[in-house]
Amino acid sequence: MKHSFLDKYSDGNSIIHRLDPRTKLIATLVFIFLVVLLPSASWITYGLYFMTIAALIIMSRVPITYIFRRSLVVIPFVLTIAIFIPFFKDGIAAFSFNILSWHLSVTYGGLETLGSVMAKAWLSILALVLLTSTTAFSNILKALEHLKMPQVLVMIMSFMYRYIFLLTDEVMRMKQARDSRNFGSGGKRLWQIRTVGNMIGTLFIRSYERGERVYASMVARGFDGHSRTLDRLYFGKCDAVFIAAWGSVLALISLFNLLY
Amino acid sequence: MHIPDGFLSTATVATTYVISAGGVGNAVRLANKNLGEKQVPMMGILAAFIFAAQMLNFPVAGGTSGHFLGAALVSILLGPWAAVLIMAVVLTGQCFIFQDGGVLALGANIFNMGIIGGFGSYYIYKWLNYLFGDSNRSKLISGFAAAWASVLLASIACAIELVVSGTSPLSVALPAMAGVHAIIGIGEGLITVAVVSLVTATRSDLLKLQKI
Repeated sequence: MKHSFLDKYSDGNSIIHRLDPRTKLIATLVFIFLVVLLPSASWITYGLYFMTIAALIIMSRVPITYIFRRSLVVIPFVLTIAIFIPFFKDGIAAFSFNILSWHLSVTYGGLETLGSVMAKAWLSILALVLLTSTTAFSNILKALEHLKMPQVLVMIMSFMYRYIFLLTDEVMRMKQARDSRNFGSGGKRLWQIRTVGNMIGTLFIRSYERGERVYASMVARGFDGHSRTLDRLYFGKCDAVFIAAWGSVLALISLFNLLY
Repeated sequence: MHIPDGFLSTATVATTYVISAGGVGNAVRLANKNLGEKQVPMMGILAAFIFAAQMLNFPVAGGTSGHFLGAALVSILLGPWAAVLIMAVVLTGQCFIFQDGGVLALGANIFNMGIIGGFGSYYIYKWLNYLFGDSNRSKLISGFAAAWASVLLASIACAIELVVSGTSPLSVALPAMAGVHAIIGIGEGLITVAVVSLVTATRSDLLKLQKI
């Protein structure tokens, strides 16, 4: 197994890593919920939220550059959709220019919406990156199960997680074989797409057959549709302190936002 | 087309969560009825398959690369409810592993790519296949159209959610999303056709599985 891009840094050891996954999951969800609820253009409050999440990132000792790089995952979405917002909102024009025969004007209202949406999206993604780089996926699943997600779904997801590693290895082998036969540099596009299609088809057949084999061996070992796992979740004093501190910081920021 | 948090209003988040939770709940129930305890390993491994298949990228115009989405393929091979279930699991995984798509936007993402993508492509495939008279060739044409439409329909649903949330005016969101995805959909369609024709050639019994 050669892919360290899944769950990277989640086996670290810091105050944040040691918190109960339920604590972290709820704290993250509350944070994201409050950020999303904020009215647009409340810049100072965005800044305050950024400082709280930045403090946690520093406490978690996960490299800041890594968190920053992961948070850039929103960029493609922003580029395809949000970038056009300032041009089409009605309002007072901030500046305008002509491209060929088009007259484009950027409005203050549009810029404000764009900025707010991007700030909110980025704050939420920072919180989510922090959660996932300090918590192993299996622990997130356990937390989800405790928070009443149906057990079947949790089991399917933990299966998916286990087999991602195996199937990714398989894909990487196929990709290496493909690229070593000059896939990238020659051939018509239709031929390339056909090749990728054949690879995915082969992968599908292999995955399906693997599913049957795995099921047969599970039944042979007495699988009856339920999974029984050791539950090592532990809600300790640290968690209580963290929840109290996090709750009061968020409450203070919300209060500030209401009064300001 | 994974919507991040911050782009949708509270009302949109709540509505799409309720619809998706209901859809996924029903998908779990039906898969359980059809597959029994086989559901867990089968759906889990096929979700991992979609996850891994999305890592295979291919060159698109202008130095960018595209990859496969998979909702249409799953719904053609295994049925629309299986597509809803598998896409829901894949999207939740992508949200918590890659931060691709937000937590609060998860309901909307499952609705667009799982429910709209899965059911849209399934019925388009069935209808066209019926229209062209169920031959191998008609399977390929209908597969292409269904996969192309699944991407387009999902992007239109996504655009409508952004408009309803007040993030983006209709005149921007709809042409931008639909235009980009009408092109991306061609790749999805061609790949789906290639996969279906390979499966037909090597394991045609897999095309006759009981649909969920």
